[in-house]
Amino acid sequence: MPDNDKLKIAVYTCYCGGNISDVVDCEKVAKAMGSQPDVVVSRTDMSLCSDAGQSQIEQDIRELGVNRVVIGSCAPTLHEVTFRNALIRAGLNPYLYQHVGLREQDSWVHSNDHAGATRKAMHLMKAGIAKARLLHPLEPIRLQAEKQALVIGGGVAGLRAALDIAQQGLRVVLVEKSPFVGGRMAQLEAVFPTHENARDLLRGLIKKVVNHPGIKIYTQAEVMGVAGYVGNYCAQVIQHSRGVTEENAEALLSACQQEVPDEFNYGLTRRKTIYRPYPGCYPPLPAVDWDNYQGEPISLNGGEPIVLEDVPTSVDVNVGAIVVATGFDPYEPRQGEYGYGELKEVVTLPQLIRHLALSKANHALEWNGHPVRDVAFIHCVGSREIEGVDEPHEDGRINNYCSRVCCTATLHTTEELRQHFPGLNIYDLYQDIRTYGRGHEDYYRDALLGGVRFVRYHGEEHPQVTAASAGDTHPVLIRVKDSLTYNEELEIPVDLVVLAVGMQPRQIDKLVNMLKVSRGTDRFLLEVHPKLRPVETAVNGVVLAGTAQGPMNIQESLSAASAAAAKVVALLGRGRVELQPFVAAVDAEKCNGTGACVEICEYEGAIAVQTFTENGKEVKRAVVTPANCSGCGACVAVCPNHAINVQGWTLSQYEAMVDAIASDIPNMAEVA
Amino acid sequence: MKDLKVDALVVGGGIAGMQAALDLGDQGFQVALVEREPSIGGKMITLSKVFPTLDCCSCITTPKMSAVAHHPNIKLLTYCEVESIQENEKGFAVATVQKPRYVDEATCTGCRLCEYACPITVPSSFDRGLGSYRAIRVPFSTAVPQIAVLDMDNCILCGKCEKACPVDAVVLSQQPEPFTIHATAIILATGFELNELGAKKEYGAAKLPNVIDPLMMERFLSPTGPYGRVLRPGDGMEPTTIAYVQCAGSRDKTLGIEYCSRVCCMYAIKQAMLISGALPMAEITIYYMDIRTFGKGYEQFYQNAKAMGVEFVRGKVASIHEDEKHNPIVKMELTEEGRIIERTHDLVVLSLGMIPAVSSSGFGLVPASDGFISVPAPNASPTVTERPGIFVTGTAGGPMDIVDSIVTAGSAASEASAYIRSKTMIAESQSEVAYA
Amino acid sequence: MPDIAQSPQPKILVLATLAGGYAGADSTGQSHLDYPANTYVLPVMCPVMFPPEFFVRAFERGIDGIIIMYSGTDSPYKVEADGTAKLINRTYQLMKERGIDIRRLRLAAICTVCVKPFLKEVNQMAELLKGIGFVKNELASRNASAQGAPA
Ligand SMILES: Cc1cc2nc3c(=O)[nH]c(=O)nc-3n(C[C@H](O)[C@H](O)[C@H](O)COP(=O)(O)OP(=O)(O)OC[C@H]3O[C@@H](n4cnc5c(N)ncnc54)[C@H](O)[C@@H]3O)c2cc1C
Ligand SMILES: Cc1cc2nc3c(=O)[nH]c(=O)nc-3n(C[C@H](O)[C@H](O)[C@H](O)COP(=O)(O)OP(=O)(O)OC[C@H]3O[C@@H](n4cnc5c(N)ncnc54)[C@H](O)[C@@H]3O)c2cc1C
Ligand code: SF4
Ligand code: SF4
Repeated sequence: MPDNDKLKIAVYTCYCGGNISDVVDCEKVAKAMGSQPDVVVSRTDMSLCSDAGQSQIEQDIRELGVNRVVIGSCAPTLHEVTFRNALIRAGLNPYLYQHVGLREQDSWVHSNDHAGATRKAMHLMKAGIAKARLLHPLEPIRLQAEKQALVIGGGVAGLRAALDIAQQGLRVVLVEKSPFVGGRMAQLEAVFPTHENARDLLRGLIKKVVNHPGIKIYTQAEVMGVAGYVGNYCAQVIQHSRGVTEENAEALLSACQQEVPDEFNYGLTRRKTIYRPYPGCYPPLPAVDWDNYQGEPISLNGGEPIVLEDVPTSVDVNVGAIVVATGFDPYEPRQGEYGYGELKEVVTLPQLIRHLALSKANHALEWNGHPVRDVAFIHCVGSREIEGVDEPHEDGRINNYCSRVCCTATLHTTEELRQHFPGLNIYDLYQDIRTYGRGHEDYYRDALLGGVRFVRYHGEEHPQVTAASAGDTHPVLIRVKDSLTYNEELEIPVDLVVLAVGMQPRQIDKLVNMLKVSRGTDRFLLEVHPKLRPVETAVNGVVLAGTAQGPMNIQESLSAASAAAAKVVALLGRGRVELQPFVAAVDAEKCNGTGACVEICEYEGAIAVQTFTENGKEVKRAVVTPANCSGCGACVAVCPNHAINVQGWTLSQYEAMVDAIASDIPNMAEVA
Repeated sequence: MKDLKVDALVVGGGIAGMQAALDLGDQGFQVALVEREPSIGGKMITLSKVFPTLDCCSCITTPKMSAVAHHPNIKLLTYCEVESIQENEKGFAVATVQKPRYVDEATCTGCRLCEYACPITVPSSFDRGLGSYRAIRVPFSTAVPQIAVLDMDNCILCGKCEKACPVDAVVLSQQPEPFTIHATAIILATGFELNELGAKKEYGAAKLPNVIDPLMMERFLSPTGPYGRVLRPGDGMEPTTIAYVQCAGSRDKTLGIEYCSRVCCMYAIKQAMLISGALPMAEITIYYMDIRTFGKGYEQFYQNAKAMGVEFVRGKVASIHEDEKHNPIVKMELTEEGRIIERTHDLVVLSLGMIPAVSSSGFGLVPASDGFISVPAPNASPTVTERPGIFVTGTAGGPMDIVDSIVTAGSAASEASAYIRSKTMIAESQSEVAYA
Repeated sequence: MPDIAQSPQPKILVLATLAGGYAGADSTGQSHLDYPANTYVLPVMCPVMFPPEFFVRAFERGIDGIIIMYSGTDSPYKVEADGTAKLINRTYQLMKERGIDIRRLRLAAICTVCVKPFLKEVNQMAELLKGIGFVKNELASRNASAQGAPA
């Protein structure tokens, strides 16, 4: 469409099914906009995003020759793309469209001021029209995309995402920080709801991943830097040395003397600084724990002592998309929280699971060398915290979310205990039992039938865990008000207290800053929209898999990982991606190559002054490389000739919008 | 209706099926989406606003519906019923029937003139019987496709619609048309139904006019609903005390439904919040055993509702009867105090559980113990059924909310695409062998 | 019936980054929290694109207060944090020269879930404007005093 065509603007004010029209008088707005210059049609609609609504827009474009469209509706994040697509279907360039947010930024925030909200809608719509007059057709920037993806984190979610992406013919680089893949799942034993062994399950998945020729795994590796953009990210991966070779591994392993707490067993045992976390781990080769190995010489078979050295290597990988699957940490209770860290009879559920695995052969449950006759589980430790009741954490936040997995994990564990140790008395102190998934409720029912004693406490009034007085039968005393028995005050003497700790995201600040992804108030990584785009982040080409996004069990982590993979494949499968055209563009008529833009620009290779020969004369002019331009517009502010602008967001468009907002609405008397 | 050959067939056009179709279509696969109702959208399009963001539900669903309808790789087949699934060496041959709309799909413009001409009014199933529509109609305002359908059971064959139609699209002689869809993989997204209002006899056996199901409440609360406000179906009065009975038909051995339906805690809280917005004076009570707000952002949602003054009372409701003014009386044991109480409300909503919409055996599958489609290896392949090439997503595989339905749709699409690729690769290598 | 066309109150323009303030404003909407309706939020990619003259022009056209809600150091743009701070300083300079109260322009870092800070900024500006009034009056009195002053 030639630019000089006569402007024909269509304006739509959406009711949003009442969301907007309950507050804003949409009919008045539409009527006022109808009398704006260049507007050929101004309509309202119950729900413009519906098929009928979109068809109306298309019809107006086709039948009335509309060449600019302005829509006032919900936030642009929801439906800007929807409406641009409607323009495309009607044969109009999608960038001849202006979206105005009338819901989140008008009707929903001025519900007590209908007249004010209506007036504001008119001004915003008028501003939208003003900008629309100055819109030009734009074409998306089409780039070749790397048919390779980066997966960060090699837990069950990362592994699954890698496999699913590779199975669609793309290559995958999987970066795992620890020396072994498998993540937290490897630390579990029999898992709900199937009672399969967690490591057996993992082994099946790892085998497929390892055997897939399209997947390259880096363990003991970290992403140190990310540059580029969707389709063409370049990630710097640093990998530490394994420290051992096939040949010397076993000898080194047995010769190594230095020991540190074993995080695989949550500190219940110690391990060497050259180690394998468990038999059958992947990679099978032991690794040196460089954080703890301080250069102690190790003597091999009486020979010369050798000192192991970490020589990190760096590789740059080019990828089109990034999957973040960095997982979770179990909540670490504060010193003294339910006696944790003060009473040795207070442990966390993950610790108990490791303890049971380590003492499988035993016929009686023991802790600390003493038989356990009575054990109590406390739910929601580090979860469902209440502002004003629970103390904030170091960063000032409250874990006010439910960790979703701990109820079923707890009841599943009580089942294991009942089966192995029939005489054991089990107490379960909870607020609500959240056994929501298939088969989960069975654990609850079986626990009730199997004699587990449930005690229901209120979040406002936590159970008190204290050391028992000398001479008591049990080392620990719990005091709790039980709302199942009319708020009776109970005193429960026990040998062991198990804290069903929640989940929190891992420490990934560096990664978050590098990738520019957002976190929610719960500190987990944030999706764009929980319903429309539940596994994508606001950064194009960066998607989420597993518990990095929020608490999930294995099944849910797997589903999320596969869903993330589907997004990556859809994005990169064709080998090209399209970017928004909102980058700097130089007006050749006005530019005389002063170079102020080049000086201010912080992006490598985004803009340069080049010399051209035109009509025999040498002219200097700035030239933009769109793929490298971020569209920040720093150059716009400094150009002395006003020769550069960000396409789709030009200064003159803003000036027109400001004028519209500052002005009064004409013909209002008759409209109002 | 011509036979069709596609990479994947998706059965069911609720949110799960739509998302699975989009995820496959976006990867470049050819997809057929079969929906038995005249419009896609499933249960979700009937909801008012959705937890936990309280977005307008239609605003989230309609663009997906529209994206499905416009997708170059998706063939949308509404008002079709899957009859049987045969397996052959190439994949599946799915016998399907196009039910007669009595309206020509290609010519109907959705102008609704037939609807205005039709003299017969029937209760609207879209509004769960609360409102009404005509015997011929566009199913609902945001339906996709916007094509009229005639309900022959209620039609008196007066011929008014035929005359009213400006494009002569009404064809009373239409017959069911069988056709076959050849597909390499199948994704089942057949969804859920609410358990029946009368399933639990103690809760009034569906005979009390002011005891309603939660989807009815969604229609009351929806801006596109029949009344545009909340009222008592018994007498049209505005209710001032409203109660929710949780786990009504879930977690209940006597009904054979021992599982938790996962969404009812959240939808009850959501509705309570929406009602307090619509009727600021209303007192709302939720009777519950456990509040299960386990999803992302859900616990905060629950705490907000408490702070807004929604009353949460723990106890098991034993029975519901009514007084002479048809006010429902809830009898329950208060676990916190150990007394049996009776409370009268203007309106009671039973937070009914979810049951499968179809029987798995129709697809040659053995149902799981809960009756939904089973997945033999949930901790390895959560969307793979026991029959190779058949996958499941959304509530067809068990109760879940919209977020989880969308995520499992991505998972099912991933599994299906890997399966299709492996199948086509085998087929290609075999044809190479044959060529050599 | 009041004439809804004429705004009785000073106008606040918010230039909000898509990655920060604009999303924060949307979050505020999702929380259904009220603020004065004379606030107009326009999305921007990154505020560094505006030269100081842009703001002065806006005041001269009748915008009474401007808040730049940027993403600060969380911005997807490298230049945003420093560049915007510099821009503000240069603009304050120009505003002083033109006799515009510099409190009419504010900079605030607002993230996607900054609901409370968003409300605080808007309410503070609204309060301020109640006190110092329309920019029109300020400019008029400046012109008057400029004319009245001995040459
Ligand atoms: C006590 C307990 C019991 C449980 N029991 C069950 C059960 O019975 N059944 C069930 O279904 N679920 C259970 N779960 C849940 C299950 O553990 C999780 O769903 C699952 O482990 C999540 O996997 P993930 O891949 O998301 O995260 P993780 O397992 O945490 O994996 C993340 C991986 O990323 C790596 N990583 C982290 N940061 C970086 C970085 N910056 N760079 C590179 N790599 C990085 C980590 O080293 C790790 O390998 C239980 C959880 C707990 C706490
Ligand atoms: C009262 C209530 C309120 C709710 N509120 C919320 C909420 O606020 N937020 C939220 O996240 N979730 C909510 N939910 C849950 C939500 O409704 C479901 O998660 C979601 O609708 C499931 O989508 P689905 O696609 O799996 O199933 P459905 O929506 O049931 O879709 C299945 C589709 O398949 C079709 N179909 C069935 N059988 C066949 C067949 N044989 N052949 C062809 N087609 C077939 C059906 O006609 C239907 O269109 C609510 C549920 C209820 C009951
Ligand atoms: S899953 Fe259970 S134990 Fe865990 S936080 Fe939620 S309610 Fe508490
Ligand atoms: S979600 Fe809540 S109401 Fe529904 S069955 Fe589960 S516990 Fe009961």
